[in-house]
Amino acid sequence: MAQAAVKMDEAELIRAAQKGDQRAFEQLVRLYDQNVLRLAFNLLRSPEDANDIYQEAFLRVYKNLHTFRFDCSFHTWLYRIVTNLCLDALRKRRVRREQNTVIETGEGVLDRMDAVEEERAHGDPQRQLLSRQLRGRIEQVLKELTPRERTVFELRHYQGLRLRNIGELLGTSEEAAKNCLFRATQKMRAALGDFV
Amino acid sequence: MKCEEARDTLPLLLYGELSFEDEERLETHIDECAGCREALGREQALFHSLDAVQAIPSQQFLENCRAELRGRVAHVESEQVSFWHKLRGGFSVHFHFPPGWMQLGGAVAMLVLGYFAAQWTPLSNLRPGHSEASLQPVTSRVRYVEPVASGRVQIVVDETRQRVMSGNLDDQSIQRLLLAAAKDPSDPGLRVESVDLLKNRPESAEIRSALLYALQHDPNAGVRLKALDGLKEFANDPDTRKALAQVLLKDDNPGVRTQVIDLLIQHRTEAMVGVLQELMNKEDNDYIRMRCQKALNDMNASVETY
Repeated sequence: MAQAAVKMDEAELIRAAQKGDQRAFEQLVRLYDQNVLRLAFNLLRSPEDANDIYQEAFLRVYKNLHTFRFDCSFHTWLYRIVTNLCLDALRKRRVRREQNTVIETGEGVLDRMDAVEEERAHGDPQRQLLSRQLRGRIEQVLKELTPRERTVFELRHYQGLRLRNIGELLGTSEEAAKNCLFRATQKMRAALGDFV
Repeated sequence: MKCEEARDTLPLLLYGELSFEDEERLETHIDECAGCREALGREQALFHSLDAVQAIPSQQFLENCRAELRGRVAHVESEQVSFWHKLRGGFSVHFHFPPGWMQLGGAVAMLVLGYFAAQWTPLSNLRPGHSEASLQPVTSRVRYVEPVASGRVQIVVDETRQRVMSGNLDDQSIQRLLLAAAKDPSDPGLRVESVDLLKNRPESAEIRSALLYALQHDPNAGVRLKALDGLKEFANDPDTRKALAQVLLKDDNPGVRTQVIDLLIQHRTEAMVGVLQELMNKEDNDYIRMRCQKALNDMNASVETY
């Protein structure tokens, strides 16, 4: 019932935003932007790239909202835009060298992710327990996954989306998404088996 | 179920992506197989480790992204207005209709004129050179309509011919025209473009005054943002600061308010404290509240008024 009320509010927001209501558009952005930023940030592991995806995705929504006809959920429509942008960014990175989040500065080693990461993530006891070596290894394995495997893994593991939804977002079947996830977890198990 | 198949399916079990039947088969196998139970434990440990490397963006980072998006959306909005303006500008003939009953009168007159012209005006009645004249850029307005004898109608039309002027931005006559265009209430696109040009000469007191006026009174957020852009260099000027404070408290566009607070708090003065405290009482935008609170804290001022 409450979910139905939320959905109705969202539909009203979309219709108002389609008519040019800026406040409605901003509220619509706020319904999803935290998860969108988290998805891009986690996938691309770069604050600048995550911000680029965030800006581009919501500007595309703003410019094309008039074409949204409620044929699918707004969530699916938005995530299709975001995942396509992320996949493109990941594919481009495969061509050039993957950007390293850790850089050497005059004041020592600096992780650019730290400046924009949630403080509670650093204070998380589970995270602290995890050895630096294991964290580095996991991040390395994530980088080695193909853009598609990495995206499917991200959407399933961190965003909690069902494989059926993921298939819909990526324009493929649930079975293909499942195979992708299977390959990703196998690669991780093979690379991290000795650490955990 | 064999151990190899069971171990391959463990991630799907943890993700809850197995069918009822497959889950049953796997759990039955795990109950009976110590090796696969151990493998499940390792898989769970791997999952927990993966959870711990999740990068969560901070609230500040999110707010910065939101502020940038607001500015970009406002820019797109002003570009769209500008596009329509340019499109309309492509036509050589403009009709500026007066408001109210005169519009109706004008419409009736045009209908009457069209009817009589089609019915009774022979082609030979057209004056020589008429077709060339119609190609001239003209702004027309029907001023007066009157029926005359023999069923004819007399119409008085105001015609304004367009003239192209060009010159440097420092040219006084160009500046005067731009200043007038920046206040044209009928055309936000024209105002956006005029203010966009004027903002490059904020050192002129007259232009600065026009920018301040646009910032405080223009109904279009795109125009206000352009004006704000031109006033950035004068963020320390008392008149500009006064206007910025008013805009911060009154403007209904969060994108404009975001840019104003960023500009205003660059130069912190005691006089700002009251404005910022008032803002804290009424502002509902998280980013602006956060910036405001930080500025008050930096100035050792209380966040609220009592």
